[in-house]
Amino acid sequence: MIGPATLAAMVVPVGVPVGVLVVLAAYTPVAGLSYNTLVVLAGVAAVGFAAGLTGTLAVLRKRPLAGDAAAHATLLGVGGMFLATGRRDLPTLLAGALVAAVAALLVLVFLRRFTRTRDDAATAIVIGVSFGAGLAVVAGITARGLPGSGGLAQFLLGHTAALTARDAVVLTAASLAAVALLAAGFKEAVMVAFDADFARAAGWPVGLIDAAVVTLVAVMVVVGLPAAGAVLVTALVVIPPVAARQWTDRVGTMFLLAGTIGLAAAVAGVAASTLRPGLATGPLVVLSAAAICAVSVVFAPRRGWLGRRWREATLAGRWARGRLLEECLALADGGGGAFDSRLVRDRAGGDTAAARRRLRRAWDGLVWQAAVQPAAGGLWMLSSAGLAEARERHRRIAAWRAVLDAGLEGARDRFSLDLPPPDDPPATGAQSGSAPAAFPAGGGGP
Amino acid sequence: MTPPGGCWLVADAGLALHGWSMATVAVVAASCGLVGSLLVVRRMSLLGDAIAHAVLPGIVVGVLVGGRLGGPLVFAGAVAAALLTVWLTRTLHAAVGLAEDAGAGVVFTTLFAAGVVLVTLVAARVDLDPECVLFGVLELAAFDLVSVAGIAVPRAFLSAAAVLAAVAVLLGATWRWQVFTAFDPAAARAAGLPVTTVTTLLLTAVAAATVTGFEAVGAVLVVAMLVVPAATAELLVHRMHQVAAVAVGVAVAAGCLGWLAAWAANTSAAGMIAVVLGAIYAAAVVFAPTDGLVARAARAASLAWRVAREDWLARIWRAEEAAGQAAAGAGGVPRPRPRSVLERAAAAWLRLTGRVSDRRGTVRLSAAGAREAETVVRSHRLWEAWLGRHAELPIDHLHPPAEWVEHHLGAAMRERIESEMAAGEVDPHGREIPPEMPSPGGGPPSGSSR
Amino acid sequence: MTPSPPPPMLEFHDVTVAYGRRPVLWNVDLEIAEPCLFGVIGPNGAGKSTLLKAALGLVPVVGGSVRFSGQPLPRVRGRVGYVPQRETVDWDFPVSVMDVVLMGTYGRLGWLARPGRRERALAADCLDRVGLADFAERQIGRLSGGQQQRVFLARALAQEADIYMLDEPLAGVDVRSQERIFGVLAGLRDSGRLVMVVHHDLRTAVEWFDRVALIDMRLVAAGPTAEVLTADNLRRTYAGRIELLDELGRAVAERGRTP
Repeated sequence: MIGPATLAAMVVPVGVPVGVLVVLAAYTPVAGLSYNTLVVLAGVAAVGFAAGLTGTLAVLRKRPLAGDAAAHATLLGVGGMFLATGRRDLPTLLAGALVAAVAALLVLVFLRRFTRTRDDAATAIVIGVSFGAGLAVVAGITARGLPGSGGLAQFLLGHTAALTARDAVVLTAASLAAVALLAAGFKEAVMVAFDADFARAAGWPVGLIDAAVVTLVAVMVVVGLPAAGAVLVTALVVIPPVAARQWTDRVGTMFLLAGTIGLAAAVAGVAASTLRPGLATGPLVVLSAAAICAVSVVFAPRRGWLGRRWREATLAGRWARGRLLEECLALADGGGGAFDSRLVRDRAGGDTAAARRRLRRAWDGLVWQAAVQPAAGGLWMLSSAGLAEARERHRRIAAWRAVLDAGLEGARDRFSLDLPPPDDPPATGAQSGSAPAAFPAGGGGP
Repeated sequence: MTPPGGCWLVADAGLALHGWSMATVAVVAASCGLVGSLLVVRRMSLLGDAIAHAVLPGIVVGVLVGGRLGGPLVFAGAVAAALLTVWLTRTLHAAVGLAEDAGAGVVFTTLFAAGVVLVTLVAARVDLDPECVLFGVLELAAFDLVSVAGIAVPRAFLSAAAVLAAVAVLLGATWRWQVFTAFDPAAARAAGLPVTTVTTLLLTAVAAATVTGFEAVGAVLVVAMLVVPAATAELLVHRMHQVAAVAVGVAVAAGCLGWLAAWAANTSAAGMIAVVLGAIYAAAVVFAPTDGLVARAARAASLAWRVAREDWLARIWRAEEAAGQAAAGAGGVPRPRPRSVLERAAAAWLRLTGRVSDRRGTVRLSAAGAREAETVVRSHRLWEAWLGRHAELPIDHLHPPAEWVEHHLGAAMRERIESEMAAGEVDPHGREIPPEMPSPGGGPPSGSSR
Repeated sequence: MTPSPPPPMLEFHDVTVAYGRRPVLWNVDLEIAEPCLFGVIGPNGAGKSTLLKAALGLVPVVGGSVRFSGQPLPRVRGRVGYVPQRETVDWDFPVSVMDVVLMGTYGRLGWLARPGRRERALAADCLDRVGLADFAERQIGRLSGGQQQRVFLARALAQEADIYMLDEPLAGVDVRSQERIFGVLAGLRDSGRLVMVVHHDLRTAVEWFDRVALIDMRLVAAGPTAEVLTADNLRRTYAGRIELLDELGRAVAERGRTP
């Protein structure tokens, strides 16, 4: 039942950060960094990777800020644990943080189910009150000058400089465990995130799976505390998946990409914090992630903003060119006649100044590409290349009209202003007998 | 400058200044409570959270340019940052299809991080401690005084009071529009209201309240002061102006109590205020008159009790009906067995109150008991008749649903069901349906044994 | 001694369903003995979807029971396929058509195991049956309404179930896709499966379904299509809502208790 695919899916996500660690460790002398720093860096890398992965699940579930409530409650856990045990080593404090995170999530569930308070208000209440309680505890501890209390403030905004190699190992182990768990239950988690009703009807324990996902997020929030601090750790969980979505439409790739972005952001943030003593790491990690996200949002090829604007602009330009050719053909009496360029442009449309400018530019393009050439008397005529192009366009428009009128399968969403050939055989190589009039994929619309 | 003991603590600076500090907190809380009531009702709590964090860079820039903490430039910076947050979130949604709360999460964490980095970089030039941005610098307010008509008043109090006045005037003037837009933005737009302006006004008010709150209690706890009072009010009252009033009251009370508690416990004022807010909310959740957990439990218990009583009375009534004349002669019917502890208790209660007389294993209904029982049986049989007429159910399926509907059918509904039946019609089992006003002595025996 | 007749394929026994505390479907008694194309018809908000969801355990049933060939749902999960309404899905989700159809095979794979060659072949076959063989690698948002509906149908086919329940599968779908989908459903019926469909259009209901049930907060009538879709029954279902049931539901909800 556990075939090679499953095994690979479980090993690869864990292998990536482990590989990073091994490589880093191997090159210690060359990197010029101390062993301690390298281990910490590797630990932070693992945390960033795991946080990005887990965050993808949270974002896909459409509840990206559930982790925020858990994150703000961790301060209370840290302070409480210190009060209770008097110890301030990282694993102990993080254990307290985990307890508080889970408790905050349970309170959130309780508020959602048993009170009339709206969901978003309930989240904000848990965030504010738990953080305040944590603040009261930690401030009280600091005021009384209890021994060892000085480091508690680091959990607010993150401070990796104080991490020991042993701490880093703990964080790394926790991160890798989380990743392995996610890899094991990957298909169930994605299915539930996509369509919970179907999963429930098919007999899956949706409530249980959901709870497991939420617990995983809580664990990652706690593990991310040293790197990013309570206030900002949700950014490490939310921003990488948002950035990753821009680059891919496949869920597995999105997960891995988010993990990688999280890893990069974490490492960059920590590295930047070494530039100046006393700089908190959290804000720098977040800014790194945000930078990657901004680049993704603007520059990603298909979903990015720039690409869309460019495609829209060039599409409009191509459409203008096509309209001009149509009018040239009409005025040219079947191909050989001459026509006035201004008449052509007027007939092609142009209600707005921008449209008229576009037509002008398209006309200049036609001239430059010798699709039209000057004729006698200040008039123009179509060259053989231009004539061929105009005729092909005419043919396609007629063919599309026929196809759309016949109401053929998926015709309407295959149609685009680019006028792809309507009668090509399916491009994916499937046997044509399988489905009538199935149009080739690709050439996706604007 | 970090005050002695870190920026965590309530400074020990004499009672007069304590009073002013508390007054400042009260004024700040009032602004936040008022603004928060609209925010919560409009389901914009998380946007409030986002703005509360995102104003930080705006404040820092304002402080840098203006040279001091507070003043119109800082407000302008905060408002600009708030509007930027909203605009970025909406743009991300429009351009990239990013869901609103994910987008808000991305935007405000980024802006907040930028703000913290800015603060750290310029900490030397400006009186802002990076940690204090999280907790507020109210404690410092005690040291920054201006003279107003001969009295030394903290500047923070003056600016907070000014903000409260401005917010109250702004929202009060547009109150009906705000409420309409809050409940149904689409309808408001269709009705011709300037929804965008109304929303921008609200967001500006949020930014202003956030700035003063920020000074007092720091970034994260402004969230608590915005959302918790309004959420509490919603559990207690149900009209919008009442919600706003209760929210302001709760906020002010929490502010003062929290301040005092922080002084007593020697810890952060911001933290204790949030804790007090949480406690008040929790109390409302449990004890609210109609929606509280206690009230709900009481209602459920009362219903269960009524059902147990009615079930017991109805059982005896049916037994009497089945026995017919023999029951009258024997002084009653054999005592049925209670089906649960609750029913046993109900039986004892009914005996105590004289609805049922219980003598040596024979029970009989009193007149009052019979009246109550007849109403229940009437409801039962009317429902069976109605179901039999309107639903495709076989006869043996009619009894179970009627068993629980009989407790919920009111007099008006019974009348409506009866009005569509012919006079003297019987239930699907052929038994007579008791009339609404019982005639003395119950009905004649009829039909099968139930 | 004659053997007792086999239990009906699907049986609703006196089913009452509540949303929150408020009953919205009252005492529905319905038996479907054999494979057929069964339509659930009624006005908006009448509880048709609720009936399906009650059978699938997606909404709380406060009275009565639902049995599949005499068994309760947990024992026969693998035999029931569900096609929910399209609105509940996020079309921006980064999954391909093939990914979605493969989800139908997860039930048989169980925990941990990944879909292998057999599952992929099955999924490809199901896609072929609904005419989407060439769309396997497309992200689901890049499909027309009718194609999206067919993807969900393919997913249900991949479950290899005996009983199929579809919630408004033809809403907002172009005519060609409708006919194609109906063809697949009829094929399922012909191969001995029960196909229960919540449907909104009376005209096509008359043409397509073998048997129908008329629902308006309670069962008005059920049986062979021609017998049930009479003017009288339709009037009872569509004209004049049963306010009594509505009010009663509200009264029960306010008193805060379910039976």
